[in-house]
Amino acid sequence: MLKTMHIFFEASKAAMQAITAHGMRSALTTLGIVIGVGAVITVVAIMEGLSANITSQLDDLGSDMVTLRAYTDPEQEMLGFSNKVSYEDFLLLKSKADNVTDMTATMRAFSLGSSVQYGRSTTQTQIIGTDSSYQNVVHIYPELGRFLSESDDLKRRRVAFIGSSVAKKLKMPPDPTGQFINLSGDWFRVIGVAETRGSLFGFDQDNYIIAPFSTIRSLNGSQATDNIDIMFRPQSDASLTDIKIQMRQILRQKHKLLDDDPDHFEFHSAEKTKKQFASITTSVTLVASGVVSISLLVGGIGIMNIMLVSVTERTKEIGIAKALGATPQFILLQFLIEALILSLFGGVMGLLLGYGLASMVSMMMPGSSSVLVPLWAIGLSFGFTTAIGVIFGLAPAIKAAKLNPVDALRYE
Amino acid sequence: MNDSTTNVIELKHITKNYPMADEDFLALNDVNLSIKKNDYVAITGPSGSGKSTLMNILGCLDQPSDGEYWLDKQNVATKTETQLAEIRNKGVGFIFQSFNLLPRASVLQNVMQPLVYRMMPAAERKKLALEALERVGLSSKVTSLPNQLSGGQRQRVAIARALVTKPAIILGDEPTGNLDSKTSRDIMALFDQLHQQGHTIILVTHEADIANHCQRIIRLVDGVIESDIRKQQGELSHA
Repeated sequence: MLKTMHIFFEASKAAMQAITAHGMRSALTTLGIVIGVGAVITVVAIMEGLSANITSQLDDLGSDMVTLRAYTDPEQEMLGFSNKVSYEDFLLLKSKADNVTDMTATMRAFSLGSSVQYGRSTTQTQIIGTDSSYQNVVHIYPELGRFLSESDDLKRRRVAFIGSSVAKKLKMPPDPTGQFINLSGDWFRVIGVAETRGSLFGFDQDNYIIAPFSTIRSLNGSQATDNIDIMFRPQSDASLTDIKIQMRQILRQKHKLLDDDPDHFEFHSAEKTKKQFASITTSVTLVASGVVSISLLVGGIGIMNIMLVSVTERTKEIGIAKALGATPQFILLQFLIEALILSLFGGVMGLLLGYGLASMVSMMMPGSSSVLVPLWAIGLSFGFTTAIGVIFGLAPAIKAAKLNPVDALRYE
Repeated sequence: MNDSTTNVIELKHITKNYPMADEDFLALNDVNLSIKKNDYVAITGPSGSGKSTLMNILGCLDQPSDGEYWLDKQNVATKTETQLAEIRNKGVGFIFQSFNLLPRASVLQNVMQPLVYRMMPAAERKKLALEALERVGLSSKVTSLPNQLSGGQRQRVAIARALVTKPAIILGDEPTGNLDSKTSRDIMALFDQLHQQGHTIILVTHEADIANHCQRIIRLVDGVIESDIRKQQGELSHA
């Protein structure tokens, strides 16, 4: 055991001497591996960083938040039908559904359009009507002022809780609470500004105005055209499937649907979005890794090529070593370790290069703040480069070990 | 006349042939030879006489096609390549015409190299190498690279490298072939000195005055020993 370690140590030393003797050539040899590993790590780091970033944003959004909204079969839609989820549906669910912590209704302000004005500034935004529970369901918290209260809703007050982007775009003062904004001719008093959430998939998540549900409902006019979204959070220990089954029963009964009629509504959850996104990033990562693996293969062939040249070039040196008593095993190990060191060095350089490139790319990419090199990618890179070193180093090393000492010594 | 127990080398019916296209080339033909401890032997002969082939077999760099080769009471002809490497490392000290030093390694590293393959601890390696360098008078050149030395100094390094393993035999293949006549004389004086210290030395040479340093001159012609002359003590010329 001690002897094996000693051979290994001495062979490594000899290998290192050979590598440093041709520094430039060694560096160029590893370039293929550097680029290969660098490319893999860049792709993985960006994808993983993006994925972690988006997952955390989705978690902020509340991955357990569920939205129920109207659904119309495309066939029926073509015939001019359009299903709706009404405020009455919401009230019914709110009173009957079990295992739900918070539930809120939201409504788009159709009548108000999407234009908002403050002083001389105008901007486009999304106007949502909802109640005080919205805060608990969507997890939006005021940075300044307050969120909607129950009395705002009861008294149909013309008040608005605005996203931070809206305040910025309208060039409002640092504390916009108390200011009045104009939504298509109707004046709303700003009561609060939300904490900044940043962007998700490149979409600004702070560009919205929230007003009391009852206010928007009355401005929208005819109650017959009510179409709302219902948002809720299941209790932490409750089964979402059970909740959905119960809600479906309640709503199908209320909508008087027959057994073979399709639902007039559907459920959306952030969990679902997260899963879809994860599957996309996984496939992109896999495909990209597969493609750049080819460059690792090319890098490996480069190492083999140089090692074969090196064996030929150092034939005389190998002859001398053999004459002085180096065993074939020692020579084999020396050349194998040399290939391995070149390959692993390329791997380390590639790792650093990949991390650097990924950091640069992520700095230039809006909305993605971090790069993440997962341990499995590092492990995989080193596993791969070790395998390349051994596989492509073996043929030259065997060639060196098998050299006949007499012929090798005679080589000029 | 030779007591076999003191023989360092015993060749019995050694044959070496190289397969050629039409017929085999017989480089050595039934060579029988005994070399005693502390012998000082010159192997001479014209080009193509089989000197180098014999040298390679004696140095365990090559295997005979037939016959037995006993080195230090071991039959070398039956050894594997790994075992041969060990014998080369422990039993034989090589000195080549073209020195065969590693150009990128220092004098000290060159001399220590055979001990590396013996897996000797670094401190002990260094001690033995310094001793060997002192014996050849190169203690002051320990850190030099081979290309910073003269031909004679390089050959001294090679001799130190051959001595460092304390081998049973020292083999010199035209050791003065690349040196001028004055340096040649110095190197031969060193060989004479080593012989006096008890080493067994075998030199391959085609130069008569080099061969004349030796006690025993073996002349090969066409793979056969033509003559094997042992000089009397008084005839030894240390010119």
